[in-house]
Amino acid sequence: MPGTSLRTYLLTRLALVLPMVLILLTMVFLLLRVAPGNPIEAALGGHVPAAYVHQITHRLGFDKPLYQQYGDYLWDILRGNFGTTITDNRPLTQIITVNGAATLELTFFAMLVAVVVGVLVGLVAGRYRDTPLDVFGRLFGIVVYATPVFFLGLMAQLVFGVWLNWLPTSDQASPLTQALLKTHTNIFVVDAIIDGNWSALKDIFEHLALPAATLGLTTAGIFIRLIRVNVIRTLRDDYIEAARARGIVERSVVFHHAFKNALVPVITVVGLNMALLLGGAVLTETTFNWPGIGHALVTYLENRDYTAVQGIIVVFALVVVAISVLVDFINAYVDPRIRY
Amino acid sequence: MNRRTGLRLAALLGLVAVAAVVAALGASTGSSRPLAGTHATASNVIIDGTTGTVVNIDPANQYDYDSFTLDLPLFQGLYGFPHGAKLQPVLATGCKASANLETWTCGLRHNVKFSDGTPMTSADVKWSFDRVLKIKGDQGIWTLLSNLKSTTVKGPYTVVFHLKAPDSIWPYILSTNAGYVVPKAKYPFNKILSNTDPQVGTGPYRLVKFTPGQQAVLEPNPYYWGQKPKNGGIIINYYSKSSTMKLALEKGEIDMAFQSFTPQDLTSLHKEKGIVVHSGHGVVIRYLVFNVVRPPFNNLAVRQAIAYLMPRQDIATRIYHGTVEPLYSMVPAGLPGHIDAYKTMYGASPNVAKAKAVLAKAGVKTPLPITIWWTPSHYGDASADEYAEIQRSLDASGLFKVTLKSAEWAQYSGALGKTYGAFQLGWFPDYPDADDYTVSFYQPNAFYNNGYNDPKMTKLIAKERAARTNGARMAALRAMQTLAAKDLPTIPYWQGNMIAVSHSNIQGINSTLDAAYYMRFWLLSKS
Repeated sequence: MPGTSLRTYLLTRLALVLPMVLILLTMVFLLLRVAPGNPIEAALGGHVPAAYVHQITHRLGFDKPLYQQYGDYLWDILRGNFGTTITDNRPLTQIITVNGAATLELTFFAMLVAVVVGVLVGLVAGRYRDTPLDVFGRLFGIVVYATPVFFLGLMAQLVFGVWLNWLPTSDQASPLTQALLKTHTNIFVVDAIIDGNWSALKDIFEHLALPAATLGLTTAGIFIRLIRVNVIRTLRDDYIEAARARGIVERSVVFHHAFKNALVPVITVVGLNMALLLGGAVLTETTFNWPGIGHALVTYLENRDYTAVQGIIVVFALVVVAISVLVDFINAYVDPRIRY
Repeated sequence: MNRRTGLRLAALLGLVAVAAVVAALGASTGSSRPLAGTHATASNVIIDGTTGTVVNIDPANQYDYDSFTLDLPLFQGLYGFPHGAKLQPVLATGCKASANLETWTCGLRHNVKFSDGTPMTSADVKWSFDRVLKIKGDQGIWTLLSNLKSTTVKGPYTVVFHLKAPDSIWPYILSTNAGYVVPKAKYPFNKILSNTDPQVGTGPYRLVKFTPGQQAVLEPNPYYWGQKPKNGGIIINYYSKSSTMKLALEKGEIDMAFQSFTPQDLTSLHKEKGIVVHSGHGVVIRYLVFNVVRPPFNNLAVRQAIAYLMPRQDIATRIYHGTVEPLYSMVPAGLPGHIDAYKTMYGASPNVAKAKAVLAKAGVKTPLPITIWWTPSHYGDASADEYAEIQRSLDASGLFKVTLKSAEWAQYSGALGKTYGAFQLGWFPDYPDADDYTVSFYQPNAFYNNGYNDPKMTKLIAKERAARTNGARMAALRAMQTLAAKDLPTIPYWQGNMIAVSHSNIQGINSTLDAAYYMRFWLLSKS
């Protein structure tokens, strides 16, 4: 049965982004305003007379009818004005570039850890099925997948940061490195490389180790299981038997034939998990004082900062959509059997 | 399209996406001048940790303590607290009041320069005050200038403030950040500068880098008119949790920490080798507020009974491990004019017999069910235990049956007296004077909407504000405290110490722990 062409599929997906973002924005807008409290009361309540709080609330338009506030907000978005946060007067674009860069750095290296650990352990477990190596691999995958990421983070801080004193326990870099590092991209690793500042790069990697490993390991659990199952299935295929019959050494059979085919479904999962990592990053960022966008979202949510929360969620949504479209596209070309 | 072309296209798309993201991230508005351009070295730069959040650096919209801690080394007002809790002229040489206390004429210090090298004149002072009132920033600092009618100048070194009503404490208002002086040329009249815009003040430091939520980097101001800082610079690192900050301190990633550790953290830090917990007199208070117009707290006897049963010492010892002290007046001990009004009237420790007697006399049926509200995070993690202790004391007397309820700050702060009958609040002063601990609470239509309105108190407030001598003002303040203990719109229960924790190689911290509650970074040095 013929599927739709990839080009049609992609165009349809891209066209659906706008209504999807609009629906998400509307839901977030309504949910924030339904929750009790508003950012002005959160900031000034308990210190400033109520009359002044009302004055400021009125000036900022938070006492307007909801439909009017919604219309004003959409109109600003259409003009490219994402506004500034209410609680700390930051342009939203700055949060996305500065805090988003920190999250990007963390999720990239976390995904690297997840893929390396997941693929290696999954491959070994699948190849040596029903041996102690397989049992260990499966147990390891279940444990890291089931453990809450913040608990894993706290344990990592305790073991490697406190008991062994091998690694720092918080922040993107030491305070002095952060103070002296010149800002080019807001991604510390890239900035250090651009400056040729190798001592800063070492310091940055030391700070990245625990949070990236924590976040990466919880995701690796998914890959371990998936790779293992795929390797076992692939090793049973006819063409593998044929390769063995032709006298090809087992190692070559596993790595050059079975492994590559076992990886195909993993690409989709990697892409989708990249999006899920954004959610896991919130807890990891809080545990390690990592100044990412997830951590910022939690803070702004606590303060009912409508502008910040709406803007950050839209960014999350767009990132997830972009990644899933890219993954679909790559998948279709890696595996010609896939059609939509 | 064939497979090979498709793969190439996918790879190209991926690379383009990465490049676009990196380029977009490079368009950051953050200032990026590093500390390295100064004389700062790792050995003389002090790294401070805090769990605070900077809301605004521009003083025209700055009205929270964490932003104030960052502003204090950068900006100055005509008055301030350079040494201890004694109000002194800073950018002014002095101010004289007219007979009716409605006009204040202030002479300015000569040869003061801003951190960009430009001279400060009366035009900058006028601009700074006019700007605060023009912008009316959403943080509300302009409310401190609500009594200011206009500001005029007489030459480059004299400023005249015209007030709407007599105000004996006007110099205290000049010491707040509402009165911080900024250069006319750099600060727009009708707009707040964002936190990542360059900030210019007359303080001992200038801000060289600010990354919101992460770090502020300060270097000594080369144009500073006063005594140079004892260190090569300050880095303030921002943490979201005190436990993370504690770890960073223990591992030596930071040299000191100010604001705030939990009582458990402090108890643990006391035991650590090489770490010193410095404690000094503080002016932060906690108090219980009553809505005095709604039942059951509209009954004075009910409020009196609670005042007799308040377990101040238990809260100070068991919950806060000695980092706070029992408080018997809304005015903290250590400030001029303080009296232990509540101790005089209700005793130093819980007295069940007197509480019982007062309720019996009023015909109140016991145990009386009451609800007390508190908020979990705004006033620190110990709030839950604090209110559990109050509940325990009231329930144990057999006279009350307390239900505790809580709400997150965003909801809590909007409700207060409008919704709650009895509720927790804390207070941090705008200026360390008894006036700020009385007028704010006892004037009609106070910010917490508790319905308190006593004409006698209103007269005392006017008397205090119009007092021509310090003696008369102090007498009015003492009378206000006595009346408040009688009327019981609030019950104060603890006063917090000013606490900073550091490694033992940091000197000078004790010299800045006083009732002014200023962290004067310029007095600190590192050996």
